[in-house]
Amino acid sequence: MAEDRINLEQSTVLLVDDTPQALDMLGSIFQGFGVKEQIKRPSAVEAVKVLQQRPVDLIVIDCGDPEMDGYAFTRWLRRETPAPMRYTPVILVTGHASQSKVQEGRDCGVSFVITKPLTPAVLLKRILWLAGDEREFVECETYVGPDRRVRNFGPPVGMTGRRKGDLSAHVGHAVEENMDQADIDMLLKPQRVSL
Amino acid sequence: MTEPVITRIKTSLAQQMAQLGGRTLTDIQRRADERLGRHKAEVMAEIETAVAGLESLCAARPQAPGAEVYRLASRVVDLAGFFDTGPLFDAGYSLADTADRMTSAAAWDWPPVQVHVQALRLILNAGCERNAATEHLLSGLKAVAAKARS
Repeated sequence: MAEDRINLEQSTVLLVDDTPQALDMLGSIFQGFGVKEQIKRPSAVEAVKVLQQRPVDLIVIDCGDPEMDGYAFTRWLRRETPAPMRYTPVILVTGHASQSKVQEGRDCGVSFVITKPLTPAVLLKRILWLAGDEREFVECETYVGPDRRVRNFGPPVGMTGRRKGDLSAHVGHAVEENMDQADIDMLLKPQRVSL
Repeated sequence: MTEPVITRIKTSLAQQMAQLGGRTLTDIQRRADERLGRHKAEVMAEIETAVAGLESLCAARPQAPGAEVYRLASRVVDLAGFFDTGPLFDAGYSLADTADRMTSAAAWDWPPVQVHVQALRLILNAGCERNAATEHLLSGLKAVAAKARS
C-alpha cells in the first residue's frame, strides 16, 4: 500500500514565538515539512500587523507577552477579523500553562493547544488532524471558534440542546440489535390499504 | 440571549493538503527532525545559562522572586521541550508549576526552589539521561512540589 502523503507545498504558515531560539526551531520544523512560505514574528502584536495585510493558512503561536499573548491574539483573530480569515486554524503551543491560563486556553477559540514536549511528529499529527477537522465554527456572545465538542454526544441528559441538530430528548444506548436492510425495506414498501 | 451562529467551514489548509503531490509522512518527519537537530547544541547552552540564572537567584534570594523564577523555569521548559531531554524537561516543568502555585497563593518558600534547581544541575551534568537515579530524583521533586502546593 502506498504511504500516506502530505502536501503543504501551497501553504503559508505564520509562526509566532517570543523566544528567538524557539522561533528558529519552529521555522526549521516547518522548513522540513515543506511549506511554501513561513512568516516568523517575535510577538502577537507583530502577527496582527501581518494579518491586517494578508491571509495565511495556519498559525502556530507560543507567546506570553503581557501586551498581547497567544490567547488574546486568538480572541482578536476570531472576533475582529472578517471571514474567512477568522476561521484560520490556530495551534497554540505552551510550555507550562499557569493556573490562570488553563480555562482561557479552552475559551479563546484556538483549534488546538499543544503542550510541550513538542516534537515534529506531534506537530505533524495535529496538522493532519486539522486537515480533516470537520468541526463547525461557533459564534456566540461568549465564544467564537471551532466547536469545542470534538465528539458530539448531544446535550447533557435533562437539558434542551442548543444546536439545531440536537435531539429533544436523550436517546440513550440501543436496547436491541440494529434492523437489517430487509426489515427496513419492508417498512418502506408500499402496501395496499383497505379503506 | 442571541442564537449562536454555526458555520460549516473548509479551511484553505484543508483544501491545500487534499491536493495531490507533496511528500510522504516518513520523509517529512525525517527532514523536520534533521533540521531541528541542528539547533540542539545552541539550545543546550541557553538552558545552561537559564539554570545558572536560577542558581544565582537561589544564592541571592531577592524579594518578590516569583516572576523571575517562573520566567527562567519556563525558559528551560520552552527550550527543552523541543528535544528528548526527558528528566530535564520534567524537572523544569515541576519548578515552573511550583513557582506559579506559590506565587498565586502568596506563599513563597525558597527550599522547594533550591531543591529543583539542584536537580536541574544534576540532570544537566548527567547528560539528561533517564535512568533509575533520575527517576528517583523526579519522584523526590514530585513530593517537594506537592508539599509546596499544600
